[in-house]
Order: sequence, then C-alpha cells, then structure tokens
Amino acid sequence: MGIMDDTIKKLTSLARGDSNEYLEKAAKQGKKIIGYFCSYVPKEVIHAAGFVPYRMRAVDSGGTTEGDKYFSAINCSFVRHCFHKAIKGDFNFLDGVVFSNGCDHSRRIYDNWRHADLKPDFRHMFVAPHIITHISLDRFKDEVREFKRKLEEHFNVEITEEALRESIRLYNKKRALLADLYESRKQDIIPLRGSELLGIMLAITMMPVEDALSLLEDVKRELAGRQASGKDDIRIYLASGCLEEIDHLELIEECGGAIVADNICFGARHMDMPVDETAAPIEGLAGRYLGHVSCPRMMNDFMRRMEFMHHAINDFSAEAVIAEKLKFCDIWGGEIYLIRQELKKRGVPLLALERELHIPAQGQIRTRLQALFEQIINQRATAVRLDERMIK
Amino acid sequence: MGVKDIRTWKPMRILKLTRLLLFLAYLLSKVPHLANVILYVLRPFYEPVKETWLNRKLRYIFLTVGGGLLPADILRAYGYGALAFLENFNRVLKAHRRGEPIIWVEWILNAELIDAFETVSFNNTCLNIFGNFDSMLTPSIMIEEAERQGTPVENCSAMKLDVGALMYKQIPDPYLMITASHPCDTTVSVSQTLEYLTGAPSFIFDMPYWKDELSYEYTERQLWDQIRFLEERLGRKIDWDRFKEGLDRVNKFNFYLGEICEMQRAVPSPGSMINLEFAWAVREINVMSPHALRMAEKLYRAVKKRYEKGKGTVKDEKVRVLLWFPPIAFFMYIFKWMEKEFGAVIVADFIGQVATVQIDTSSKESMIRGLARTQTNLAMGRQCHGPVEYITDEMEWFFEAYQVDCMIFTGHQGCKHGWAAARIIQDICKKRGMPALYLSLDIMDQRYLNEQGIRDEITSFFKSHGWA
Repeated sequence: MGIMDDTIKKLTSLARGDSNEYLEKAAKQGKKIIGYFCSYVPKEVIHAAGFVPYRMRAVDSGGTTEGDKYFSAINCSFVRHCFHKAIKGDFNFLDGVVFSNGCDHSRRIYDNWRHADLKPDFRHMFVAPHIITHISLDRFKDEVREFKRKLEEHFNVEITEEALRESIRLYNKKRALLADLYESRKQDIIPLRGSELLGIMLAITMMPVEDALSLLEDVKRELAGRQASGKDDIRIYLASGCLEEIDHLELIEECGGAIVADNICFGARHMDMPVDETAAPIEGLAGRYLGHVSCPRMMNDFMRRMEFMHHAINDFSAEAVIAEKLKFCDIWGGEIYLIRQELKKRGVPLLALERELHIPAQGQIRTRLQALFEQIINQRATAVRLDERMIK
Repeated sequence: MGVKDIRTWKPMRILKLTRLLLFLAYLLSKVPHLANVILYVLRPFYEPVKETWLNRKLRYIFLTVGGGLLPADILRAYGYGALAFLENFNRVLKAHRRGEPIIWVEWILNAELIDAFETVSFNNTCLNIFGNFDSMLTPSIMIEEAERQGTPVENCSAMKLDVGALMYKQIPDPYLMITASHPCDTTVSVSQTLEYLTGAPSFIFDMPYWKDELSYEYTERQLWDQIRFLEERLGRKIDWDRFKEGLDRVNKFNFYLGEICEMQRAVPSPGSMINLEFAWAVREINVMSPHALRMAEKLYRAVKKRYEKGKGTVKDEKVRVLLWFPPIAFFMYIFKWMEKEFGAVIVADFIGQVATVQIDTSSKESMIRGLARTQTNLAMGRQCHGPVEYITDEMEWFFEAYQVDCMIFTGHQGCKHGWAAARIIQDICKKRGMPALYLSLDIMDQRYLNEQGIRDEITSFFKSHGWA
C-alpha cells in the first residue's frame, strides 16, 4: 500500500452508502439530483441542465421484501432490491429518474414506479437501440434530443449548446482520468485493486462531476508507488452486467485474484471512449453512447465485445476471465455461453458465476474461485517446467 | 420418457413427420362430417391425459383440431390451413435437400419480404408447436438438450427449443436470419447465439419501444435496409409485383380474421378462439399462401353464419374467458376442453387478436410504410415491446368489449417482463372485480406444469367461482 491513500479509502467508504456529503451539498445549493439506470443514458445532458446525474444502485437496500410485492421471484435481484429501496423512500432525495429499456427486468421498473406512484414526478423512459447501425444512430440522436427537450420542459430550464459542450468536456476529462487509473493496472504489481476501483466508480457516479474530477486527481496522485497486489496474484478480466458489491470483488482478491480489466456497468462501459468534442454535441453524444464497449443487449456487437476482451487480456496480461450474471438474466446468460465458446478456442480459462445481488453465498463462490486459481497456478508451474526443459 | 434418445434422431425427422400428419389432417378436412364422427368415436383412445405408444403421434393433432368437437365448416377451413403449412414445409425440405438458401424469419416478423424474393422462408420457432406432433414430450426433450449444452435455463423455452432443434438437426441450417429485439430478452440473447452457432448473417430489427410516428418511421427505414440486405446477399432484386400480390392477399387475410375477432364480441360468441390461434400459426408460417387466404375466408364465413343466426360456438355459453399472455403450446385443446367441460368460451386472447392495419399497396413506399405498421402491431410484439400499458390497455379493452367474466393469466416461466407486470395486472383485476387465475407454467415445457395440472387448476378455479 502507498503511504497516502486517504482519497481511495474515503471513496470506497462512500460507495457503501447511497448518498454523500458532495451530493447533499449540491442539493443544498439547489441543484436537482437526477437518477438514471443505465450506461446508455447520456449523463452530459443532465449535467448541462445544471443538475447532478446519480447512477441508480441497490447498495444498502437491506432486502427485497417491498420489491417482491411488485416483481416476481423470476425477476433479477437488482430490480427487486432497487424497488425495495424506492418504496422505502431511500430515493426520495431525487428530483427525477431516467429509466431505460436496458433489459426486460429494468424496463418494468419504469412501469411499477408509475403504478406505485413513487416520488419524484419526473420519470423519463430513455430508449436505447439494440443494434449499432447508421439508422439506429439517427434514432439515438432523436432520443437524446427528446430527452433534452423533456428535461427543459419539465424543469423549465434551457440546455444550451455551450453548456452541453462544457459538460462533454468535463465528462471526457473524467473518462480520461479513469482511463489513467485503468491503465495503471497494466503494471506487474497493480496499484489499485478491482474492489477499490469499483468503490471509486460507485462513489463518483453519485456526486457532481466537478467534485469527482478533483477526487480522481487525488486518487491518481495517491497511486504513485502504491502496491495493491501480490506478485503471484492471478490477473483477472471481469465481465458482468450489474455488479456493485465491493465485498464480492474483495472475495476474489482474498482468494488470490487481481482484477486488472473489465467490461461492467460500473467499469469500462462507464469510461470507455470519449465524446467527440469537435462534433455537434448531440451527434457526439449519440456516437459515443452507441459506440462504447457494449452491453450484451446490443445484438450485433458480440465480436467487437470479444475483441475488446482479447485486447484487454493481452494488454493487461489477464490470465483468466470471470464472467458473472445475476440469476434470471437472459442477456448475460447468453453472453456467457458465447464467451465460453470463444475462450475455449483461445485457451483462456473461464469461471462463469451466477449470483444474487447482495446475497454473498461466499462459501460456494470461494470454492469455485480456489478451483480456478489452482488450475492457473498448475498451468504456470507446467509452463515453468517446460521452459526449464527447453533451456536444458 | 419412453421417447427415443434425441441423439439418435434422423435429421429433419420431425418436420417430415409433421408433413405426413398435416396431409392426414387435410384429407380428414375434405370429409369433415365423417372426420368428426371418427374423431369423436376415437376420443377415449386419445382424449384422456395419457400419452401412450399407441396414440403418441396422433394425440396432439387430433386434440388440436377439436377432437370431433369442431363444426364441419370450421374443420374444412382448417384443411386449407394445413395446406398452407404443407406448402411451406415442402419448400423447406426441398430447399434443404438441394442445398438452396433458406431464410429463417423469427416469429413476430413479416415473412412477406422474403416471399417477394421468391426465396424460402422458415419460421425457426415452429417446432414449439409441431414438435408436439412427434410426442407431447418432444419439445421438452429438445429444450432439455439445449440446456445441457449450455443454453441458459432461464431463457424462454420457445427459443431454447430452437437451439436444441438446431443442435440435433431437426431444423434446416439458415442461409440468412431475420430477427428482432422483441418481444423479450431471450430473443435478444438467443438470436446472438443462433447467429454464432449457424454462422449465418443476420438482419436484426430494432423494434421501437413506443408506437408513434417516429417509431413507425424507424421501422420503415429498417425495412428498406432489410431489402438492401436481402438484395445484396441473394444477388437479386425484390419483385415488387409479387410483393404487391402477396400483400393484397395478406390484407384480405387480416380483414377476415379481424372480422372474426369483432364477431366474437357477440354474446354468445359465434367463434372459438382456437380458430384464431390456428390462423395465427398459419400466419407465422406461410401467410402469403393463397391457401392461407382461403382458410381465413372459410373461417370467416363459418363464424359469420353463426353470428347472423345468433348461435354460439357452444350451445349454452356460461362463462366468457380472456386468456391473457401466450397460449399453452402443448395444450391447444384447452379451448375446446373448457367449452366442453364448463361451457366456458375463450373469447379473446393475447395471440389470436388481429390488430394489424390494412396495407396500402398503391406504391412501393406505401407498402413498406404499411408493413412497418403491421409489423409493429403483430400479436406478442405489439403488447410486449413497450410500456406496460400496451398490455393492460388491451386487456382492459377486452374486459369491456368482449364482456369477459374472468381472466386466465398464463404466466410463462421465460417471460420476465410479463411477471414483472403481474402485480399491475393483479391490481387492475382487483379494482375491476375481475376474477383471475394466475397460472405459473411454461407454455412449451410440460416439466413445470403439465396438461393434467393445468386442467386441475382451471377446474378448481371454476369450481371456486360456482361455474363448475
């Protein structure tokens, strides 16, 4: 560990709650807090309105009992936890919520939220295409324009082009800082653990971007000389959808893993690819949000996701992939099936895990992780022996 | 299970068997009175919920065509539907034999454009229905095999079955695939799996969330793109005259079925929903066929005759039922069984209702525009792709317009968004005082709740409301 890692500690600690001093300060200043559900929602538009985008989460939900009254047992635990929180009033500080058609479970949050008539009264469904084509790009631009118009209309504000450009600039800066943090994990001994990075991501997605930038600068400084993994730790690429449990990543690390790269909502999908600042703002936003490393809900992009994974495996020297899904997630279920076929061809070990959000099942997962890691350690030993023989 | 190991099945075995049985159904429809007598006399052999080696190949088809309970004129109409199926399966099997291109078209999409290229279309989900011709356990076996090969268990069984059927060569390999992002996540997911496994290039429709002008325009642009895709891949141009001819038939087909839907609002209902279900399957497989149109016309005339006389599909209609959510593929006899056992008539449902628009065939542009609207309003798609109101508004309209006494919700295991809307549906029913039975089943896979279980639950429901 580095000597000074106060900011990392602070952020990972903030991540375990669903609000923080920065958010509260912004609210006191009269800034509206707008919750959003999916990495396809362009946060810059919310920010350009003078508001604070707040990434919705189930952290600290305390259960699903209220959510279970609206969602069935075959709906994923993320929506049940989240809705439980919404009914309990945990999101009452929000001034608006932007829903998304990310998946069948999450799109029904929009319906149940309205049915239960929960606060706040600004509830917008942001519709993201399921394919990446020139036609869907046009559709996406229309959707961003519509989103902007709805915000302006409801809150009686004007979102100017200048404001959008400034928001894009700030969010690109944030992405660049995050990219630096990600890059730092290319080192043999990584300076930032995956669990810590998840904590940072959780924290900075629920505060004004201006505060996030300053904190990320501090984090970047703290990384100098910091050592967060052991030299024999097994380097992992993590692929998943909704993953917000720091404890879960800590378990992987305890077992000897070092998460070095990912494609998760609170990870690469949040920071991958900057918005083109030379383009008209709406065009630039649509291009970035449709073009970043995709979620498996994008139907014509599997090979590109695999390319992203392969590049990351090479660049970050990942030795294995852990692909995770929440129970009843069709989309990630299918994705893991395909990932398995591709990784088999390339000889990369894969551990596919299925879990319920915030229900650790630590014993089972630990056993499976240990099995994977033993396999890799054996492979390493075999490779060393082979190398020795070759030298002889 | 008493059925041969799937790994020993000959390729395309089920489709070939289906073709044979459909031909038998067609022959029976030519002598409908005699057919009904035979079907009625043989009822003890196949009607009880027990599949034996003796009735295995015939039970499903005999029950689906009413088990001797369908009026002769309706049975005659079914014959043309059987011909439409046969026509498509013959083409598919011939193309498969010759190595000619076969284009898979996902359910809830239009095969009309494929026909305009004089190319064979195949509904890759068709074995969800026709797999039962082999044995009513066969769909479950294919689903189980797909799961064993790694297909996620939580996926909708309709598409798991596709994967199983593909793996065991019960459906032909596609040259191209036409698929979409609706009606559910399983389609989003399994379409990618199928493309990966087959290596066939896909054209994917991104179905819009809303139903507004912007959404229709979006679909329209994609249809033009689909034409470009097909022209490039098939190396030939679309035949607009053929397309127009086909759409003219489709318009009439939809008109007849739409009229039947309207007539079923009458009390007593002059038609049984099984007719519209049967027609929906014809629509899915081969709507461009002249046989499909003849079937629709015959059905329309048969129902209209009863409507004009004020006669119901059952003598004494006691209960009018809305079957909400997809019908149970392995128990299509549910319609006639409820009519016979309880005088309960399913007057409307999720699939059979025709809500498509008439397509203006005066120009290329108007045809594509009309097709875009039709595609957005096809059953399942129109309810499932958007906000919950697309499900509940139609449901409430049925309550009113069809004077429904109760609702049976067929809660399908794979349908995550359906179950996520169940509370809203329950609240609406409660508020309206609408008795409702919520079944938890899998519409393709009897391993969850089998035919006997469904019969038992419905019987208890009717008893508890004094209808049995």
